[in-house]
Amino acid sequence: MTVLAELVRRPPPDADPTRTLRIRNVAIAVGLAGLAAVAAALVVNVLVATGDAGADNLLWTFGASVAGFATLKLAIALVLTGIVVRLWMRVDAVKAALPELKADAGPREAVSDGDIDTPFGRATLTEKAPGLLPPQAMARIMWKPMLLMGPMLVAAGLVLSLVNTGADDPDTRQALSAWTQGTQFLGEAMLLAAISFLLGTILAGLREGGGEVQESLGLAVKTLRMPASAKAFLALMAMGLMLGVAQLVLYGIAAYVDDPATWFAWLGPLRELSLGILLSGIVLALFTIGTVLGFQHWRIRQIIETGR
Amino acid sequence: MAAATVRAQFRVETSSRSLGYNLPQRLGRALWLPMLLMALMLFGAGMALGIVRASEIADGSAADTIATLQHVQAGLMFLGFASVFSAISFAIARILGQLRAGGGEVQEAAGRTVQTLRMPGTAKLFLVLMMMAMATLVVASILHFVFAADIDPTPASLADAEDRFVVLEGVRRLGIAVYLFAILLGLATIIRVLRFQAVRLRELPREEPVR
Repeated sequence: MTVLAELVRRPPPDADPTRTLRIRNVAIAVGLAGLAAVAAALVVNVLVATGDAGADNLLWTFGASVAGFATLKLAIALVLTGIVVRLWMRVDAVKAALPELKADAGPREAVSDGDIDTPFGRATLTEKAPGLLPPQAMARIMWKPMLLMGPMLVAAGLVLSLVNTGADDPDTRQALSAWTQGTQFLGEAMLLAAISFLLGTILAGLREGGGEVQESLGLAVKTLRMPASAKAFLALMAMGLMLGVAQLVLYGIAAYVDDPATWFAWLGPLRELSLGILLSGIVLALFTIGTVLGFQHWRIRQIIETGR
Repeated sequence: MAAATVRAQFRVETSSRSLGYNLPQRLGRALWLPMLLMALMLFGAGMALGIVRASEIADGSAADTIATLQHVQAGLMFLGFASVFSAISFAIARILGQLRAGGGEVQEAAGRTVQTLRMPGTAKLFLVLMMMAMATLVVASILHFVFAADIDPTPASLADAEDRFVVLEGVRRLGIAVYLFAILLGLATIIRVLRFQAVRLRELPREEPVR
């Protein structure tokens, strides 16, 4: 329970930064469990190929492998929650240190709101810290339901794959096989969406924390405008998630068609494409986080050197 | 000139200036975008080939053509996954670089001794596992192409192609799992670096300026 509490609360300003987060070690252990599931499935695949196990086993190894991936993604999400907590501790540390480090700039001048150029792109200059952008506010809410629903769908698909392993009727097999793939890959897409929303939550924390530090020092608040990479991240994430839902609907149709092989031949790449697009969005989110961190270091240096 | 120092809870290098980016971080800054673009192209090509294969099945084409397309399609798609996971790993390295270089510059601006965290064990493991996973996926994809070129319209060859696909499927999945675990370790390293930054920032006001 203590570990779970670490995930959702902003730590108090006087929280001890030397304390290690248990969530990091929990996440690594969960990740190892996922890795083990996929490795076990590989062994069974080899046994099937060499004729030492029946081809039926491929049905459950598919389910087990996807469940292993889901476990690893869950572990990644847990680590990201740890990063959110650590970023707040960093904000509190900057707030505590900067008043004593910044140059004395004399009386403060009036701030006129507007845009400025920085080495990291256009930024806004405001008197008060700007609020969160709508996607960031949404990200703070949405990562939790996605993180809950994703593993549930993957687990449901795993159960379907186990039932399918013992099924004899070809129609039942076709239906169960289609629903297994559709359900599990929607679950995977939701887990990647949860990771994307957590990255959005990190960006929200950077924006809010950066504004909070500058405002607490009585300085003009400089905030980076939403970079193009963040906009592209949102577009890719929405597209990937929509494809994830679409492939479930299409697998639902493929479960009962007369020529399942034709449907499965293009639905397989489609479901992989949906995950690929979500992963591409994650790349851009990470790039944006790197850019915002660069901007923050630049701004901290500026405050130390000029006091403004 | 940087010197290695052991301080409470962290192994650091001390210097008078920011140490900037290390080699993996410089690579990360340069390579994340080419990898992302390559991934997007490969995903598109894999999807297109999936549609071609579906149409061949619907038209009742030869079994060897369908098996060949299955191998080539999987090879392209998983080269795409290798690329996108590389892009993610490079983007994480870029974040670690921003924290390393930026953290050093802040200490330098404050006129204090610059302490830079030495590469943690999780970061070293991240690099090793990332390279292993990439090699696994690339080799599996190349084998898909090799096996695709080796398919004849005989029952024995088609059965071999199917068995090889089953094994490579498992290998590809393991490659992805190792990649995900490497990414997990990369992110865990960010937690450690942020912890060091929070501790170090609180120390700065208590230290005497060196300049």
